[in-house]
Amino acid sequence: MASPELKHPLLSVQQLGRTAVQAVEECGYVAALLVESLYWVVFGSVRHQPVRLPSIFSQMMTIGIGAIPIVFVLSFAVGVMLAIQGIHTLRIFGAESQVVIGIALSVTREFGPLITGVLIAGRSGSALAAQIGTMQVSQEIDALRVMGINPVRYLVSPALLAMLIMVPTLTFFSDLAALFGGAVYSTVELGLGVEAYLQQTLDVLAADDIMQGLIKSVVFAGIIALVGVSNGFSVTGGAEGVGRATTRAVVLSISYIVLADMVFTYFLNR
Amino acid sequence: MASVLTSVDDPVMEVQDLVTHYGAVQILRGVNMTVSPGEIMAIMGRSGSGKSTLLSYLLGLHRPTSGCVRLLGLDIARASAAELHELRKNIGVAFQGGAMFSSMTVGENIRLPLREHTKLDEKTMQIMTRMKLELVNLGGFEHLMPSQLSGGMLKRAALARAIIMDPKLLFFDEPSAGLDPVVAAELDELILRLRDALQMTIVVVTHELSSACKIADRIMILEKGCVLMTGTVDEVRNSENERIQAMLHRRPGTKEIDPDDYLQRLTRD
Amino acid sequence: MKYKTRKEGRYTVVELMGDVDLSCSVDARKVILEFLKGGRNVLVELSQVTYIDSSGVASLVEGYQTARKKELKFGLVGVSDAALSVIQLARLDKVFPIHATVEERLREDG
Repeated sequence: MASPELKHPLLSVQQLGRTAVQAVEECGYVAALLVESLYWVVFGSVRHQPVRLPSIFSQMMTIGIGAIPIVFVLSFAVGVMLAIQGIHTLRIFGAESQVVIGIALSVTREFGPLITGVLIAGRSGSALAAQIGTMQVSQEIDALRVMGINPVRYLVSPALLAMLIMVPTLTFFSDLAALFGGAVYSTVELGLGVEAYLQQTLDVLAADDIMQGLIKSVVFAGIIALVGVSNGFSVTGGAEGVGRATTRAVVLSISYIVLADMVFTYFLNR
Repeated sequence: MASVLTSVDDPVMEVQDLVTHYGAVQILRGVNMTVSPGEIMAIMGRSGSGKSTLLSYLLGLHRPTSGCVRLLGLDIARASAAELHELRKNIGVAFQGGAMFSSMTVGENIRLPLREHTKLDEKTMQIMTRMKLELVNLGGFEHLMPSQLSGGMLKRAALARAIIMDPKLLFFDEPSAGLDPVVAAELDELILRLRDALQMTIVVVTHELSSACKIADRIMILEKGCVLMTGTVDEVRNSENERIQAMLHRRPGTKEIDPDDYLQRLTRD
Repeated sequence: MKYKTRKEGRYTVVELMGDVDLSCSVDARKVILEFLKGGRNVLVELSQVTYIDSSGVASLVEGYQTARKKELKFGLVGVSDAALSVIQLARLDKVFPIHATVEERLREDG
């Protein structure tokens, strides 16, 4: 629009450049948000502007406790699915009983954190973006600022902390639910005793496997919170803008989660 | 705050050569104004004149391209975070749409600054909240959610929140816009009482001439990002400036048309 | 803010002086409530008050309510103009028993 005489090839190069600059800008913004919200967590009380415990707890309730049923159902289903696929595949080699190892490792190292991350991104990342976006549009963020209440301390720090605590907790819960799902299907299908299944699972699992999943889930938690919040803050243009930001927050955080998962899995297994 | 304000006669607010941009477009083109203690200043202008922009810069929500804004003696662009934090406790702002936090009750909204900035007893905060609600004629509405209030009630609740800390300087964005005349008149009355009882300095942004004439000591008229004139109510009324007279008598502004430019605008691709 | 207390007849007079604002209304409240808890009748003298904000007025309201609950006497005396305008703004001048001096109050009590 600014330079209408510019025709196709140049135009797309210009567009590419703009997008790249925007992306770099956004990365910097997210990093600054992370640093600032951690700053308030650590130094807030020294500056008499503490991050309040009640707001952390209320965020933990909505992010964590509210998600327990859906996390359980989906994780259980994934556990069953893994058992079905595992038994089907291993039957080719006549090694059905090895399915226990497969389920135990893939659940704790991969599926637990991933399912939980994607779920919380869709459920709470979007809610964060919508909440902050709505506040931005209705001047509530401005109101906080002119009252001398830093929006990052008041809104972002509690959400980030709650995320960092609840996503790993939910991931551990999701591990258990998925293992349970796998156990239910395998014991029925293979005629294995539940006790034997449990014993085998415990034999296979090392603390390291569970830790690997939990470390990843901490990273996912950070991604969900920061992507949600930064999209919320950047809302312009009324209700429609809030909708756009919400969708964008979900798509971006799920993409980042999957990419981060790949990178972390690579490095954690070297 | 007394330490910052060196003398009683120092201006509460001082704006010097304020220039701002939105992207590449210049919005404010060198605004100057001063507001003395206890004064009610009305900033007037048509929509698009830059008055909302001016307010956001007065509140320190954005960084100006150049020029400076001093509130209670503090240059807000150069102040440290701690100084700004102190300053904000002495300033109240009532936003146009209320900007009440939708997740809290009206009472919690009004109490929030106290809860964040003071160590007052819970009971004291409750009494203060109810006193302010009574003041704006919303007694008994403490436990409602903002979504249950009408536009005029939201505006009054926002005023109650803005004055909960008894600020020295109060900003009020469009107090009477969208209100029925009786409620608007009540709000005007309340603004005057606040000034008289608490010696508050009040800056009102408005496009309602009748309200501005009733409450303001001085009026500043903004047009296209420039100050058209600043003066007392009478000075503005008696001004011979054509554009001010057009505004006073609600005549639509006659746009000067440059035929070449106009044709260009219509046909350019 | 500073305060002095003295006894006059059946009353304990709490005299507040200077600016009663957010930073010190907590102290004023504590003094007033403590005397009331000790079962004393309280008069608050405001003649030397240069400024009182709503947290100060709220403390007075709480004091009056506490006194009424305990069936004790409470009142304001010698309210300065600065204090009166704030009390009037909150329409509390019709609520508090206000007298020009302690003597006047004593005389009225009979």
